Amino acid sequence: MRTTATIGLLLVLTFGGISRLSAQEITFQASVDRNTIAVGEHVKLSITLTNARGSFGAPDLGGMMVVQGPFDLPNMVIINGQMRGSLTRTWLLTATRPGRYTIGPAQAKVGGGTIQTEPIVVEVTKGNATRPGDPQAALGQQRDPNLFTTISLSRNKGYVGEQVIATYMLYSRYANLQSVPKEMPKISNAWVEEVDLGEPRWEDKLETINGVQYRVAVLRKQVLFPQRSGTLRIEPFVQTCVIDRSFFNPGRNVEVRSNAVEYTVLDLPPGAPTDFNGAVGELEMTVTAARTQVEVDGSVDISVRFTGRTNLKLLEAPVLELPGDLEVYDPKVVDRISVNAGGMGGSREFQYLIIPRHDGTFELPAIQVSYFDTKTGTYRTLSSEPITLEVAPGDGSASAPVPQRALQSDVQLLGTDIRHIRTGDLQLREQGKELFGSWAWTAGMAAPALGYVLLLGWHRRRTKAAQDVVGTRRKQADKVAQRHLALARQALDRNERDTFYNALSRALNGYLGDKFGLGPAESTRENIQERLSGLPDGTALAQRYSALITACDLARFAPIEDTPRGTLYQQAAALIGTIEQHFRA
Amino acid sequence: MRPTTLLLLCLLFVANTAHALDKAQADRLVIEADSAYAAGEHAHALALYDSVNTAFTSSGLLYNMGNCHYRMGDVAQAILHYERALRLAPGDVDVLANLELARQQVKDRVASMPTFTLGSWWARFLGGSDPDHWARRSLWACALLFLSLSGLLFVHHRTGRRVLLTLVALTFTGTLVSTALAYTRQRDLARQDEAIIMTPRVDVRSTPDAKGVVLFILHKGTKVTVLQEVNGWQEIELANGAVGWTPVGTSTVI
Repeated sequence: MRTTATIGLLLVLTFGGISRLSAQEITFQASVDRNTIAVGEHVKLSITLTNARGSFGAPDLGGMMVVQGPFDLPNMVIINGQMRGSLTRTWLLTATRPGRYTIGPAQAKVGGGTIQTEPIVVEVTKGNATRPGDPQAALGQQRDPNLFTTISLSRNKGYVGEQVIATYMLYSRYANLQSVPKEMPKISNAWVEEVDLGEPRWEDKLETINGVQYRVAVLRKQVLFPQRSGTLRIEPFVQTCVIDRSFFNPGRNVEVRSNAVEYTVLDLPPGAPTDFNGAVGELEMTVTAARTQVEVDGSVDISVRFTGRTNLKLLEAPVLELPGDLEVYDPKVVDRISVNAGGMGGSREFQYLIIPRHDGTFELPAIQVSYFDTKTGTYRTLSSEPITLEVAPGDGSASAPVPQRALQSDVQLLGTDIRHIRTGDLQLREQGKELFGSWAWTAGMAAPALGYVLLLGWHRRRTKAAQDVVGTRRKQADKVAQRHLALARQALDRNERDTFYNALSRALNGYLGDKFGLGPAESTRENIQERLSGLPDGTALAQRYSALITACDLARFAPIEDTPRGTLYQQAAALIGTIEQHFRA
Repeated sequence: MRPTTLLLLCLLFVANTAHALDKAQADRLVIEADSAYAAGEHAHALALYDSVNTAFTSSGLLYNMGNCHYRMGDVAQAILHYERALRLAPGDVDVLANLELARQQVKDRVASMPTFTLGSWWARFLGGSDPDHWARRSLWACALLFLSLSGLLFVHHRTGRRVLLTLVALTFTGTLVSTALAYTRQRDLARQDEAIIMTPRVDVRSTPDAKGVVLFILHKGTKVTVLQEVNGWQEIELANGAVGWTPVGTSTVI
């Protein structure tokens, strides 16, 4: 720049009166419009040579940079026929760093001698940068203010798999510049996607860095997906530039080396869900079924579409957990992925073709996919709604071209797992209380046996009693006799003569017949008397019996009543009582 | 004053109830445990079943506990509980299915000696629906026997007597058989000679001391038969007939 800026310039005053001019005072002055500027602001340096012709170049700028200039401003004034001429040369200067800059003296050759200006001090304060801009650009500017290249990243740190954009830029102040890449860095540990920029060209707008305007070209843009945690380093790239090339000048080759950048890659936090698919960034999922009602052997398209800004190209098809009897084919992948200045984005769609082989209602379970959300720094799970598929028994038309399959197929065992717990009544029992051997059981076994024994005893006795007719009669005799006696008593009270005597004799004869085991035919008076006599004290009893029967017979068969009926009754009752006591003893 | 009294009463009540778990409470705990299991809180479900098991037991309860252990990854405990459930309900298909699955995860595969079995149907028949099944049957058979014997005292009709006599013969056999089965069942329930290895691995030695030659190594979940116990060592036998000694405490009796 200096070479261009230092222009040997011959000031030729075309007017003839040089001698007259020489009479005028010659001045050579340098001035700045202000002595204090902020970084990025411009200061105007003007050097004026008056009334002389000579050549002068730019002074030593003391580290300041020329933004524009030099501009020559010749000035010619004729005063009183005398011509005064001057030449003012101006530069716009700036500084990239604050500090105290001394603009050295400018020298002009006038005539045979040399005159020079006073040095000027310019104070540059920090001030506001005109543009916060790219720090890499500011650093590059310090390497070479006229031509530099930079690599910049969209972020300084991020997670593994999170996309970051690297931009390769060329900044130039040369009017004519040709640039070819010489060396491009290789990036390991990251998946790199190039952004297609077309031919590199100058941006429409100039960019001002610390007050200096540059033409800018984006040479390259890459989307990086770091694959490993740690530090990702991009080495400098080298660009070969030809400058100052013109029709007459083949120009100069310059190698421009950019900065290197480092990027910190963070590990994903622990606790990734099992269905984590490796996507880092932003992701949405939509699951749609082309239709939910289909015939057997018809087809259903299920589309699982992921949209978002992440490395979509690495997304794998989610596994559909389909119920049996549904055939599913490997999904078709439809990508609408763009890699542009904003990174990688778009959508990837998995299209599954499902063919139900049996009718019924099938529930396609919800698809769950987790990704790492860089905005919140957490894992997020995307979940779809389950899809219910109604499969109607087909009429066979859908599968017409398909050869007939066997109708039956084996039930497929897809997995094993333990059976579910038993619910409902568990039939809980108290610990250690078994029925067998317990008191209750022993009693329960013994009770029927005991009952049977008792029953058997009772039955035996009853049978024996039933077989012993005589004994029974003897036992029953008193009861029968008493019944007859009661009848006799009634008859006595009612004064019925025949009934009374009949009952009385029947009581006596019946009773004694029963007692002695005599049949009705054997119960004669003689037999009874004979048996009675066989008893101890039998004679007296026989006489009493005989007397009673005689009295009864007499009264029944002849109208003779020697004894009153009441007395007869009492005698009969007494006799029966006596005999009864006799048998009991 | 009053709050403290109330608190004391409450504590007493809690202590009381904790001590004696009644049937209604047990049923409630089981329902709670079932829903905990369904919700995937297997440890919670197991704790609830366990508290029920302090006072009550049943094949279903032990089976559910086995399932909890299985879900929590403790296969040996699962096998132990399935085996205990099988004791109470021999031949139960659910228990057998789960036991089979659990056994597949045990490291040791022991080929059992070929034995003649009639399958789970026969086991189910012998086992009865619950441990008291045959004892109850024996009571009924006994009662029927004496009832038909009593009937013979009063029935004099020929056909009637024939029917009753057949009944007597049948119920007599029934009483004998069911009593015998109830006795076998009782003995089976009281068995103490089968155990499941509970330590991750155990050396089985040739003699009951630590210097014995290691015959083979058993792992958690394997079922063994305990033959005898000597000085803190027990002699065990595998299903394939292999015999050796292990320290007491390496296995838990079913």
